Amino acid sequence: MATLQVFDKPMCCSTGICGPQVDPVLPKFASDLAWLKDQGVAVERYNLAQQPQAFVAHADVTDAIRENHEHALPLVRVDGQIVCKGVYPAREMLAAWCGVSKPLAASGACCGPAGCC
Amino acid sequence: MEFLENPTRVLFFTGKGGVGKTSVACSAAVKLADAGKRVLLVSTDPASNLDEVLGVRLGNAPTAVPGVPNLKAMNIDPEASAKAYREGMVAPYRGVLPDAAVASMEEQFSGSCTLEIAAFDEFARLLGGTGTTAEFDHVLFDTAPTGHTLRLLSLPSAWDGFLSANTTGTSCLGPLAGLQAQQKLYTDTVKALGDARTTTLVLVARPEASALGEAERTGGELAALGVGNQHLVVNGVFRATDRDDPVARTMARRADQALALVPAGLARLPRTVIPLAPNGLVGIEAIRAMGSAARTGTAAGTGDAPPELPPLAELIDELAGPRHGVILTMGKGGVGKTTVAAAVAVALADRGFKVHLSTTDPAAHVAATLNGDVPNLTVARIDPKAETETYSAEVLATAGKDLDAKGREMLEEDLRSPCTEEIAVFRAFAAAVAKGEGGFVVLDTAPTGHTVLLLDSALAYHREVTRQASGMPEAVEHLLPRLRDPDFTRVVIVTLPEATPVHEAARLQEDLKRAGIVPFAWVVNQSLAPLAVTDPVLASRRGYEARFLREVADELATRVAVVPWQIEPPIGPEQLRELTALASSTTGASGSTR
Repeated sequence: MATLQVFDKPMCCSTGICGPQVDPVLPKFASDLAWLKDQGVAVERYNLAQQPQAFVAHADVTDAIRENHEHALPLVRVDGQIVCKGVYPAREMLAAWCGVSKPLAASGACCGPAGCC
Repeated sequence: MEFLENPTRVLFFTGKGGVGKTSVACSAAVKLADAGKRVLLVSTDPASNLDEVLGVRLGNAPTAVPGVPNLKAMNIDPEASAKAYREGMVAPYRGVLPDAAVASMEEQFSGSCTLEIAAFDEFARLLGGTGTTAEFDHVLFDTAPTGHTLRLLSLPSAWDGFLSANTTGTSCLGPLAGLQAQQKLYTDTVKALGDARTTTLVLVARPEASALGEAERTGGELAALGVGNQHLVVNGVFRATDRDDPVARTMARRADQALALVPAGLARLPRTVIPLAPNGLVGIEAIRAMGSAARTGTAAGTGDAPPELPPLAELIDELAGPRHGVILTMGKGGVGKTTVAAAVAVALADRGFKVHLSTTDPAAHVAATLNGDVPNLTVARIDPKAETETYSAEVLATAGKDLDAKGREMLEEDLRSPCTEEIAVFRAFAAAVAKGEGGFVVLDTAPTGHTVLLLDSALAYHREVTRQASGMPEAVEHLLPRLRDPDFTRVVIVTLPEATPVHEAARLQEDLKRAGIVPFAWVVNQSLAPLAVTDPVLASRRGYEARFLREVADELATRVAVVPWQIEPPIGPEQLRELTALASSTTGASGSTR
């Protein structure tokens, strides 16, 4: 199964609830990653404010930040290859990159991998 | 001091602001040290005045106190701890990651959350009993006013619980993430607090119903957190010696009444009663003599005539001038911010303005002070619990509405983080300030340290806002410019005519100026200066006030008003109106504007 790594901007927390205004993209993405994990994908998530060592450990990530500053973040790698920079990709994209069959719960209409309600 | 007969290793001193926690803690520390014990006295108050009371410059490490061989003291300086914590997290990446990335990491560690965590982290390490404190027989903590202490003491369980209950592994720990490794320390902290052989909680109160009531609530809440070994100190109990002095008779009667009606929760606790001192308790000699009978009733200082300063009534015209805006009462806890805020609000409402009176102080009771309806006046309280619930519900309804079950569960878990309350209260504060556009808003703020944190978050959020600028609530976006606009926000600093409250208020004024906010006026509350007193203790205290009234009027304030000591506690619209009436019932209260 694929390994997916996410390198976030410096944030207080992955759902963004600590900011003055919650960006709905963040909790959505967090839930997409949880779904992906349930499909068997190994998911690792790093935040520049809290796990900077992970950013330094990968030369391609460090280079991307050097070139584009924070515009490079969030950065997504799949099996060591950068697949996306500067945006939070949709669940379908994540599924495709990781070779997971089509997501059942791409929107709020369904309850998750167990099936529709 | 009965709690010193078989003292535990750790002693906490807590209570409403202005009740004399620092004096009592210092006195206990000196007594233990004089008995040959090695003692460390620690202040956890962000606005600590331990330096002034002990007459020595203190820092982040134990410092010897001159004149008391076995005593060392220190301040937990949250700013310095936060800076050290931030630097420890960021420094290894300087030059490795681009400057912009390092700068944004630093930004992330600049919020009030980091400040609180850093202070707590240091507190936990001291309480842990190893390292710094290992060489001491006793460690005494002089804590910040109630709300802050409760938070400090509940954090170990809150975070401990949060860390263990966290199931999704993505929870919102924010700057706390770096402390995850210390979970054992937090668990140990909770354990130490709950062990009666290790820890005593000393609740300090004045002989007043409100202070005793608050001590009871604090005691109850801390007992619920497992801190069960408690002791009550009633500080500043006045006994009249001159029966012809009406102020002295009333003051003594009030103390007797309050003591007769000690709430049930406190009545069962062992108790120490300390008499009112004729002068302020500053310096080792005064601390050593605290509570000893020989010191009462000296006539020292009575020759020093206090200056005549204008009454509160004279401030109201100026405050009413702009016909709308925000009036913030600020100052140390227990100085009467709520009373002054309520009196100003009633006076403005009586002039026909729409007035909204609100408080950010978790322990204040604006409604109880007002205790009656006044036309044009609405009253509200920023309740952290309620605000957190509202905010959480709002986030779930907006950012959470399209999530699947798992995503929603994760969001809900993050919303249980200790940071959420901070944000929720902050947003409510911004919303209250915004109401000043349409009328008067009088805000009674929480004690100094907390207020400064609030303003710090205003600064941090303001930077965040200018960076993000998307979907920000309008009230948050405009908060700082509004607070800095002298035609919109007028800060009234409330103090008592004593060393500690005046000097603490002076520091608050400096903090505010750094944030770009210049206080509008000072109100010196509960002053004996305008009253004719003959009782020797009261006359001595009246003389002692003189130099502090001068200091405020001549050096610190641009405008000043004095509120005389009240015979009856000012509760209810009528009593509050008397505080701002020009023809005051008290003698000597009228004065000329400066």
